[in-house]
Amino acid sequence: MKRPVLAARPSRRELLYHSGMGLGAIALSAMLQKDRAQAGVLAPRRAHHEAKAKNCIFLLMEGGPSHIDTFNPKPKLVDLHMTEFVKKKNKFEASMNTGKRYFVRSPFEFRRAGRMGIEINAKLAQFADCVDDICFYRGLQATSVNHPTALYHLNTGNRFGGDPAIGAWVTYGLGTENQNLPGFVVLPDLAFPQGGAGNWSNGFLPAHYQGTPLRSQGAPVLDMRPPEYVTEHQQRKTLDFIGRLNRSHSQRHPHHDELASRIESYELAFRMQAEMPEAVNIDLEPKATHELYGVGSDNSEVDSIGRRCLLARRLVERGVRFVQVIVSGWDSHDYIEKAHGKRLDSIDRPIAGLLKDLKRSGLLEETLVVWAGEFGRTPDNGLRGGQAVWGRDHNAPAMAFWIAGGGAPRGKIVGATDETGRNAVEAVHPIKNMHVTLLHLLGLDDTRLTYFAQGREKQLSQTGGELIKELIA
Amino acid sequence: MRRRYRSKAVRAGSGLRFLRSGLIFLSGLVGATSAAAADSPAELFRNTIQPVLKQQCLGCHGEGNVFANLDLRTRDAALKGGQRGPAIESGSPGDSLLMSAIDHAGELAMPPGGPEKQLPQETRDAFRAWITAGAPYADGRSTAKWNFEEGDIWAFRPVKRVEPPTEGISCLSPHPTAEARDTTAMTSLRLRAVLDVRSSTPARAKRLAPRPDGPLTHFTSPRGEKCRIDPAAVQTPVDSFVLARLAEKGLEPAPRADRRTLIRRLTFDLTGLPPTPGEVQAFLDDESEGAYKKVVERLLDSPRYGERWGRHWLDVTRYADTAGYSNDFVRPNAWRYRDYVIRAFNSDKPYDRFVLEQIAGDELFPDDPEAILATGFLRMGPWEHTGMAVAAVTRQLFLDDVTHHVGQSFLGVTLACARCHDHKFDPIPTKDYYRMQAVFAKTAFARRPLPFLPSESTEGFDQGRKPIQTRLEELERRMHDLHEAARERLARAKGPEAAANARTTTLQRYLSSEQAELLKLLRKRVIMHKLSVLRFEPLAMTVSNGYVQEWEALRYRNSYLQPGDYARAKTHVLAGGDIQAPGQEVSPGVLEAVARYSDLPAPQIPDRLSGRRSALARWIADPDNPLTSRVLVNRVWQYHFGRGLASNANNFGKMGKKPSHPELLDWLAVFFIDQGWSVKAVHRVILYSEAYRRASDHQNRELVDKLDPENIYLARFSPRRLEAEEIRDSMMAVAGELSDFAGGPGTYAQINPEVAHQPRHAMGTLQPVYEAEPTRRRRNRRSVYSFQRRSMMDPMIEVFNGANPDLTCERRESSTVPTQAFALLNADLSRDMALIMAQRLDSLPAGMRVESAFRLAFGRDPTSEERDWTEEFVAEMTAHLEGNPAAARRLPTDIVHTITSELTGERFEFVQPAYTGPYEHNPHPSEMPPGIRAWADLALALFNSNEFLYVY
Repeated sequence: MKRPVLAARPSRRELLYHSGMGLGAIALSAMLQKDRAQAGVLAPRRAHHEAKAKNCIFLLMEGGPSHIDTFNPKPKLVDLHMTEFVKKKNKFEASMNTGKRYFVRSPFEFRRAGRMGIEINAKLAQFADCVDDICFYRGLQATSVNHPTALYHLNTGNRFGGDPAIGAWVTYGLGTENQNLPGFVVLPDLAFPQGGAGNWSNGFLPAHYQGTPLRSQGAPVLDMRPPEYVTEHQQRKTLDFIGRLNRSHSQRHPHHDELASRIESYELAFRMQAEMPEAVNIDLEPKATHELYGVGSDNSEVDSIGRRCLLARRLVERGVRFVQVIVSGWDSHDYIEKAHGKRLDSIDRPIAGLLKDLKRSGLLEETLVVWAGEFGRTPDNGLRGGQAVWGRDHNAPAMAFWIAGGGAPRGKIVGATDETGRNAVEAVHPIKNMHVTLLHLLGLDDTRLTYFAQGREKQLSQTGGELIKELIA
Repeated sequence: MRRRYRSKAVRAGSGLRFLRSGLIFLSGLVGATSAAAADSPAELFRNTIQPVLKQQCLGCHGEGNVFANLDLRTRDAALKGGQRGPAIESGSPGDSLLMSAIDHAGELAMPPGGPEKQLPQETRDAFRAWITAGAPYADGRSTAKWNFEEGDIWAFRPVKRVEPPTEGISCLSPHPTAEARDTTAMTSLRLRAVLDVRSSTPARAKRLAPRPDGPLTHFTSPRGEKCRIDPAAVQTPVDSFVLARLAEKGLEPAPRADRRTLIRRLTFDLTGLPPTPGEVQAFLDDESEGAYKKVVERLLDSPRYGERWGRHWLDVTRYADTAGYSNDFVRPNAWRYRDYVIRAFNSDKPYDRFVLEQIAGDELFPDDPEAILATGFLRMGPWEHTGMAVAAVTRQLFLDDVTHHVGQSFLGVTLACARCHDHKFDPIPTKDYYRMQAVFAKTAFARRPLPFLPSESTEGFDQGRKPIQTRLEELERRMHDLHEAARERLARAKGPEAAANARTTTLQRYLSSEQAELLKLLRKRVIMHKLSVLRFEPLAMTVSNGYVQEWEALRYRNSYLQPGDYARAKTHVLAGGDIQAPGQEVSPGVLEAVARYSDLPAPQIPDRLSGRRSALARWIADPDNPLTSRVLVNRVWQYHFGRGLASNANNFGKMGKKPSHPELLDWLAVFFIDQGWSVKAVHRVILYSEAYRRASDHQNRELVDKLDPENIYLARFSPRRLEAEEIRDSMMAVAGELSDFAGGPGTYAQINPEVAHQPRHAMGTLQPVYEAEPTRRRRNRRSVYSFQRRSMMDPMIEVFNGANPDLTCERRESSTVPTQAFALLNADLSRDMALIMAQRLDSLPAGMRVESAFRLAFGRDPTSEERDWTEEFVAEMTAHLEGNPAAARRLPTDIVHTITSELTGERFEFVQPAYTGPYEHNPHPSEMPPGIRAWADLALALFNSNEFLYVY
């Protein structure tokens, strides 16, 4: 083990030792015992095949954004507006969708954007600049029309929860580049989504792969900072003492390997404590970048989503493998014009900012950006709010979805829905095939990315799926 | 594309065979039709045809769309065909339009998309073979023709009555000498030489002499020869089996652990808590022969035993106090099931009775309140029905859950695999799955009055109920005000009559969108509080037959939750597990493999409304059921040794690991039944054994690690990290803070305030704020009594691999992640407990504090070195803290929750007053002198040390 005699900068060890953050001393003792170069279970692993995408930012639109009012306009609904939609009685229909129902047109204007003139909601002025980098997919179908089960399905492949989230699978498959940050980070909206932490669960995978929700207030990771009454010196001394106890304990149990990894975990914790504050500090970004994302906007929603999108970029840049940004509030059963309108206003700049920023830094090449809700919305409505205002209910057989960057096709529409937007009719695929495809884009093969649990080798697609070829550039 | 299809078709098509023999797998790849030809028509359908239909055809012809009027979902519909006439001519593929379409032989080429999309040759050949065979659809046919390797169905074979071995086959020296230890590549020749000198050199004689704590000598024969197991080394028959295997593997057992280690091991194992210093001392001082057994018996008699072992069962049954999913509604009476389980373990309820009660207590023992509470078992899974969901689908969800759950908990089989297709690895056809499910077809939820038992705790009911009721009244008042405001506006617009008769949905339109959002929140919250207050009512969460006797989620009483619904319920085999594809109707039944491979005949399960579950339960609890007793003793073994004899406790099928000691497993199963299904008898026979008492290290560790790295054969004892609840409970116990308040509704523990106050969605609105209990006695209880919310685990429990209540947990993980360090170092709970421990130490004479701290935390005295460090640490820290006073702790009073309104897309803010009543704080550093704060840092260090967290 060589140490540079004339090191211009302090070595990592010295940094650790002299760091006021405190956990360093205990970490040092672990490092002196075993200078482990390998980073353990989260070390980067070779992909199953060559792939452009190394990281993923998954923009989860919780609540079910309407495809009809965002990226898949249906002029036919203008003709059908307020005509009754009569359908066959179906005992498998949710009570939400029963009763008298009427087709309703989209209250929004659409505009053409990009080289291909792809139609998008006219509210998305900034986003329009990015359309040439996006592949809109209209063939995707969900199964469940219930929020938590549909969210679990989208996030974990299993409608009933309990399985690992896609971020956990990807981190399990590829490890992560930065050992000092979690490999799979979730940036929740103000409120945690329906179904809670099950949406970023490690399921049956080891706990290392669990999504870490970063908190917007307080310590970004739970309990990362000691209570305010603890001084640095106090923490440092306490840690030294733990180190002493552990060292003499390890001597009494020389063969017990787990002890070393527990001591190491304090080192990891220390490094996270040291690196996290910088990683999450978006104030370090130039003002122009803030503006690009809408950070500091008078609209608090734009500001909040902008912050999360910018944070997502910072994290990916620092080697976090998978970042999920959650934007909730899409469940517009009534008053869709107002509610969806506000949402679209709120995401336009932040998401466009993210795409533009990733593109200009070249990071888009290796970052797969996914935008999805848990299902789409119906072309018809029960008009709970009277005829003046209307919304849309949950629709599983057609939904809104796009991907960009990381080996995704650019400026393309894949698949199609029928004339009212109720069903996907072209390039139709279930969620599991989308999962297989996302994994593929990240260099992973769903049939090889398995883990033995509950009596069989489990996989994200549950029982296997097929690749959606059209979604691969 | 082609290749992918090919491999899929082969995998699906050859199913079982490919796992049994690589040859057939290969032939499937090479010979186009062999996979198809080898399947029975029914298997062919399930394995090959059906998946292709589902993926390639039904999208347009059956599910969602019925293009060209062709529906391929059922055989009848396919025979009838569409616009172009019949799709299938049974028995003659040449005349079948379907065949020519997929062959691209005629005008029609399917699936659409040109040659690129054509199905691969072997898939098409499979279709040809299937049509030739009459094109049978899912018929749930039995798979009695399957052939299984004996090793794959061991668990279905009768439990063998075996005698403990008296001899073992030695393959290596039982007592490697120093010479043998020097080399890792020992040969038997070398060993023979070693063994030749066995007639004892003085050194060897010494080594072989019984240790003070018991005999150690075992076998003394060279490799390949039979050796006698020394009866003196056998404390219980468990030892005979373990020693025989050790001899075979050439491993010698470690000596007994010392007494301090043993009492710590036993106490954590049986109670989940550390031994008190007094208990340790008493054991050390007890020189009587039965000292060890005395400790075992004391612990088995302790009420803490049921809290620990009940928790194991609650892991399996997925206990929680809420229902999960979107609303995560409270299950107000679930706690009575939790306490039932704890009582059952404490009273050593015979396990067969435990089984009968949980599956069919209401039918079999209608007059026994315990048996009514026991049926809560059937309802432990996450479950929710809302207006967004399809009623029949939600019902099916419950049926699938309960079927799978019964199979996994009691029988150790993974039935879920057989939901969509015949089990790929185990002899469980889909039909069995649905026959088991039919047992529950009439089972309805019931919440019924059941007076509290004398054994149930009603402590603090008023304290628990009052704040909820106060809140409820406040919420209702606000709701009323909103309604009135709307009514007034309505009256102005449409007249007083319209206003008087207006329904809530109408009223809502006369509110501002912000008011409407508030109303939505209030309505949901009123329901939640009404549910919550039911926790203190004498109600049981149980089941009945045919008639739903409650509204699980008060407002959703429409849809299917109406009386009488299940009285006529029928069960069909569902093709692919899809409720929209019902196949053959089935009558209730059990796993046919048990009757086929064991001595237990399949029971007649009545096809009536009542009695189905009783018959199933009796079959499971039958002494001749080969699975039940094995599964349970294996679980018990696993919790004692960290690993089951069969190491997948929930899976005794082919994919589960085979037992390491099959004879021992059977012996224990027989013993268990002979002892009247007494779980405590199984504890005793294990805990009294030498195998359990071994040291965790080994005199010849390198060899042992080489020959048995996972310690499967138990030459030594496997150390383990404490489980989440043990860590939390131990910190409180060591501090002297652990409340002895046992049983009753779950109380709100102190959890990380950021998590507690985090806004969380409930369908369309917000969940109430989590508030910790206002008194220490109610808050600082054993973790098993904490209110368990599915959508929000206590982070202290979660971070230490607590059981996810949405999944059955056969065994806790113990992975090490950095966030554990954060929790133990920085969480309020560990800091508070450290401070309380410091107060405890402070009350002792100065000279006693260091000893006491180490005795409490580690069960031992400090070394003189450790004493010096500690005194130095505390002195230095006291001086440091003199100049660093702590600011006082404040509880939040108003918690502001913000969400994005569904109605407006704008932010909606709700202010919830919190901690409005008196609150008994845990002690806080701001109130403590530096001396005590310094000791608190010492205590915190002890909590974070490996010695505290591991049991040896």
